[in-house]
Amino acid sequence: MSKERRKKLASLSFSEKVKLLEKLRERSLALAEARKKLKEKSQKQSP
Amino acid sequence: MKEALELINRMQADGVIERYAIGGAVGATLYLEPAATLDIDIFVRLPGDPGSSLVSLAPIYDYLKLHGVRAEGEHVVIGGWPVQFLPVSTALEEEGLQEAVGAEVEGVRAWVMKAEHLVAIALQTGRAKDYARILQFIEQDVVNRDELKRTVEAHGLAPKWEKFKARFLNE
Repeated sequence: MSKERRKKLASLSFSEKVKLLEKLRERSLALAEARKKLKEKSQKQSP
Repeated sequence: MKEALELINRMQADGVIERYAIGGAVGATLYLEPAATLDIDIFVRLPGDPGSSLVSLAPIYDYLKLHGVRAEGEHVVIGGWPVQFLPVSTALEEEGLQEAVGAEVEGVRAWVMKAEHLVAIALQTGRAKDYARILQFIEQDVVNRDELKRTVEAHGLAPKWEKFKARFLNE
Protein backbone atom coordinates (compact mmCIF):
# COMPACT_ATOMS: atom_id res chain seq x y z
CA MET A 1 0.00 0.00 0.00
CA SER A 2 1.37 3.41 -0.92
CA LYS A 3 2.29 5.91 1.79
CA GLU A 4 -0.35 8.32 0.49
CA ARG A 5 -3.08 5.69 0.55
CA ARG A 6 -2.13 4.72 4.12
CA LYS A 7 -2.21 8.37 5.17
CA LYS A 8 -5.61 8.82 3.56
CA LEU A 9 -6.98 5.76 5.34
CA ALA A 10 -5.49 6.92 8.63
CA SER A 11 -7.25 10.26 8.30
CA LEU A 12 -10.72 8.69 8.15
CA SER A 13 -12.98 8.96 11.19
CA PHE A 14 -12.81 6.19 13.80
CA SER A 15 -16.31 5.06 12.76
CA GLU A 16 -15.27 4.73 9.13
CA LYS A 17 -12.09 2.90 10.09
CA VAL A 18 -14.02 0.51 12.35
CA LYS A 19 -16.31 -0.30 9.40
CA LEU A 20 -13.21 -1.16 7.35
CA LEU A 21 -11.90 -3.26 10.26
CA GLU A 22 -15.14 -5.20 10.22
CA LYS A 23 -14.84 -5.82 6.47
CA LEU A 24 -11.22 -6.93 6.88
CA ARG A 25 -12.25 -9.30 9.66
CA GLU A 26 -15.11 -10.76 7.63
CA ARG A 27 -12.71 -11.32 4.74
CA SER A 28 -10.13 -13.01 7.01
CA LEU A 29 -12.80 -15.30 8.44
CA ALA A 30 -14.16 -16.14 4.96
CA LEU A 31 -10.64 -16.97 3.74
CA ALA A 32 -10.00 -19.17 6.77
CA GLU A 33 -13.30 -20.98 6.15
CA ALA A 34 -12.50 -21.49 2.46
CA ARG A 35 -9.05 -22.86 3.33
CA LYS A 36 -10.63 -25.24 5.83
CA LYS A 37 -13.13 -26.51 3.23
CA LEU A 38 -10.38 -26.98 0.65
CA LYS A 39 -8.31 -28.95 3.15
CA GLU A 40 -11.28 -31.15 4.05
CA LYS A 41 -12.02 -31.72 0.37
CA SER A 42 -8.44 -32.70 -0.42
CA GLN A 43 -8.36 -35.04 2.58
CA LYS A 44 -11.56 -36.75 1.39
CA GLN A 45 -10.16 -37.17 -2.12
CA SER A 46 -6.83 -38.63 -1.05
CA PRO A 47 -6.85 -42.45 -0.83
CA MET B 1 -18.43 -3.49 17.07
CA LYS B 2 -21.07 -0.91 17.95
CA GLU B 3 -22.99 -3.59 19.83
CA ALA B 4 -19.90 -4.60 21.82
CA LEU B 5 -19.16 -1.01 22.79
CA GLU B 6 -22.77 -0.36 23.81
CA LEU B 7 -22.70 -3.36 26.12
CA ILE B 8 -19.31 -2.40 27.60
CA ASN B 9 -20.61 1.15 28.25
CA ARG B 10 -23.69 -0.32 29.92
CA MET B 11 -21.45 -2.56 32.02
CA GLN B 12 -19.55 0.54 33.14
CA ALA B 13 -22.77 2.43 33.89
CA ASP B 14 -23.98 -0.55 35.95
CA GLY B 15 -20.76 -0.44 37.98
CA VAL B 16 -19.38 -3.82 36.90
CA ILE B 17 -16.24 -2.11 35.60
CA GLU B 18 -14.93 1.20 36.83
CA ARG B 19 -13.09 2.31 33.71
CA TYR B 20 -12.09 0.81 30.40
CA ALA B 21 -9.94 1.65 27.40
CA ILE B 22 -9.57 -0.04 24.05
CA GLY B 23 -6.00 -1.13 23.36
CA GLY B 24 -4.29 -3.37 20.83
CA ALA B 25 -4.95 -3.24 17.10
CA VAL B 26 -8.44 -1.78 17.44
CA GLY B 27 -7.13 0.99 19.70
CA ALA B 28 -4.35 1.67 17.21
CA THR B 29 -6.98 2.11 14.51
CA LEU B 30 -7.91 5.47 16.04
CA TYR B 31 -4.51 6.74 14.87
CA LEU B 32 -3.46 4.46 12.00
CA GLU B 33 -4.97 2.90 8.90
CA PRO B 34 -7.13 -0.14 9.73
CA ALA B 35 -5.29 -3.47 9.86
CA ALA B 36 -6.86 -6.91 10.05
CA THR B 37 -7.48 -8.06 13.58
CA LEU B 38 -9.61 -10.80 15.00
CA ASP B 39 -10.42 -9.46 18.44
CA ILE B 40 -10.86 -6.39 20.61
CA ASP B 41 -8.59 -5.87 23.63
CA ILE B 42 -10.32 -4.01 26.43
CA PHE B 43 -8.24 -2.93 29.41
CA VAL B 44 -10.44 -2.68 32.48
CA ARG B 45 -10.33 -1.72 36.11
CA LEU B 46 -12.91 -3.33 38.33
CA PRO B 47 -14.36 -1.51 41.33
CA GLY B 48 -12.07 -1.88 44.32
CA ASP B 49 -9.33 -3.40 42.16
CA PRO B 50 -5.98 -1.88 43.18
CA GLY B 51 -4.41 -3.04 39.91
CA SER B 52 -3.48 -6.66 40.20
CA SER B 53 -3.23 -9.29 37.49
CA LEU B 54 -4.81 -11.72 39.95
CA VAL B 55 -8.11 -9.88 39.92
CA SER B 56 -11.08 -12.06 39.02
CA LEU B 57 -13.01 -11.30 35.87
CA ALA B 58 -15.97 -13.30 37.18
CA PRO B 59 -18.20 -10.22 37.69
CA ILE B 60 -17.73 -9.33 34.01
CA TYR B 61 -18.47 -12.85 32.80
CA ASP B 62 -21.49 -13.15 35.11
CA TYR B 63 -22.87 -9.85 33.84
CA LEU B 64 -22.31 -10.81 30.21
CA LYS B 65 -23.89 -14.22 30.74
CA LEU B 66 -27.01 -12.47 32.04
CA HIS B 67 -27.04 -10.51 28.79
CA GLY B 68 -26.85 -13.63 26.68
CA VAL B 69 -23.18 -13.32 25.78
CA ARG B 70 -21.23 -16.52 25.32
CA ALA B 71 -17.61 -17.16 26.23
CA GLU B 72 -15.16 -18.73 23.78
CA GLY B 73 -11.95 -19.60 25.61
CA GLU B 74 -10.37 -16.39 26.83
CA HIS B 75 -12.79 -14.27 24.80
CA VAL B 76 -16.44 -13.39 24.96
CA VAL B 77 -18.25 -12.86 21.70
CA ILE B 78 -20.33 -9.69 21.51
CA GLY B 79 -22.03 -8.72 18.27
CA GLY B 80 -19.84 -11.18 16.41
CA TRP B 81 -16.59 -9.74 17.81
CA PRO B 82 -14.38 -11.73 20.19
CA VAL B 83 -13.59 -9.38 23.08
CA GLN B 84 -10.79 -9.96 25.54
CA PHE B 85 -11.00 -8.19 28.90
CA LEU B 86 -7.59 -7.45 30.37
CA PRO B 87 -7.48 -6.22 33.97
CA VAL B 88 -4.85 -3.48 34.23
CA SER B 89 -1.85 -4.98 35.97
CA THR B 90 0.97 -2.44 35.55
CA ALA B 91 1.39 1.25 36.32
CA LEU B 92 1.72 1.84 32.58
CA GLU B 93 -1.61 0.19 31.81
CA GLU B 94 -3.23 2.07 34.70
CA GLU B 95 -1.93 5.36 33.30
CA GLY B 96 -3.18 4.37 29.86
CA LEU B 97 -6.61 3.80 31.34
CA GLN B 98 -6.60 7.09 33.25
CA GLU B 99 -5.55 9.14 30.25
CA ALA B 100 -7.66 7.38 27.62
CA VAL B 101 -9.31 9.63 25.05
CA GLY B 102 -12.93 9.65 24.00
CA ALA B 103 -13.88 8.55 20.50
CA GLU B 104 -17.12 7.66 18.76
CA VAL B 105 -18.15 4.61 16.77
CA GLU B 106 -21.44 5.12 14.97
CA GLY B 107 -22.65 7.48 17.68
CA VAL B 108 -21.45 5.28 20.55
CA ARG B 109 -18.89 6.76 22.93
CA ALA B 110 -15.77 4.69 23.49
CA TRP B 111 -12.52 5.18 25.40
CA VAL B 112 -9.30 4.51 23.57
CA MET B 113 -5.74 4.59 24.87
CA LYS B 114 -3.54 7.45 23.75
CA ALA B 115 -1.02 6.71 21.00
CA GLU B 116 1.93 7.06 23.41
CA HIS B 117 0.49 4.46 25.77
CA LEU B 118 -0.33 2.07 22.94
CA VAL B 119 3.27 2.34 21.75
CA ALA B 120 4.74 1.93 25.25
CA ILE B 121 2.56 -1.13 25.94
CA ALA B 122 3.54 -2.61 22.56
CA LEU B 123 7.18 -2.01 23.47
CA GLN B 124 6.66 -3.70 26.83
CA THR B 125 4.91 -6.69 25.19
CA GLY B 126 7.64 -6.92 22.59
CA ARG B 127 6.32 -9.41 20.02
CA ALA B 128 7.18 -8.98 16.32
CA LYS B 129 3.67 -7.69 15.58
CA ASP B 130 3.99 -5.17 18.41
CA TYR B 131 7.24 -3.83 16.96
CA ALA B 132 5.64 -3.61 13.51
CA ARG B 133 2.82 -1.55 15.00
CA ILE B 134 5.26 0.78 16.77
CA LEU B 135 6.96 1.38 13.43
CA GLN B 136 3.61 2.32 11.90
CA PHE B 137 3.02 4.87 14.66
CA ILE B 138 6.46 6.39 14.10
CA GLU B 139 6.33 6.32 10.29
CA GLN B 140 2.93 7.96 10.24
CA ASP B 141 4.06 10.55 12.75
CA VAL B 142 1.01 10.10 14.99
CA VAL B 143 2.90 9.78 18.23
CA ASN B 144 4.31 12.66 20.24
CA ARG B 145 7.96 11.65 20.60
CA ASP B 146 8.59 13.85 23.66
CA GLU B 147 5.57 12.44 25.44
CA LEU B 148 6.54 8.92 24.45
CA LYS B 149 10.03 9.51 25.86
CA ARG B 150 8.54 10.68 29.14
CA THR B 151 6.22 7.66 29.24
CA VAL B 152 8.90 5.04 28.56
CA GLU B 153 11.25 6.68 31.08
CA ALA B 154 8.55 6.82 33.75
CA HIS B 155 7.82 3.11 33.35
CA GLY B 156 11.33 1.71 33.13
CA LEU B 157 11.19 1.11 29.41
CA ALA B 158 13.93 3.55 28.37
CA PRO B 159 16.59 0.86 27.73
CA LYS B 160 14.12 -1.11 25.60
CA TRP B 161 13.17 2.02 23.67
CA GLU B 162 16.82 2.89 23.04
CA LYS B 163 17.41 -0.63 21.71
CA PHE B 164 14.33 -0.39 19.52
CA LYS B 165 15.42 2.96 18.08
CA ALA B 166 18.92 1.69 17.35
CA ARG B 167 17.62 -1.48 15.72
CA PHE B 168 14.68 -0.20 13.69
CA LEU B 169 15.00 3.57 13.39
CA ASN B 170 18.77 3.99 13.08
CA GLU B 171 18.69 6.56 15.85
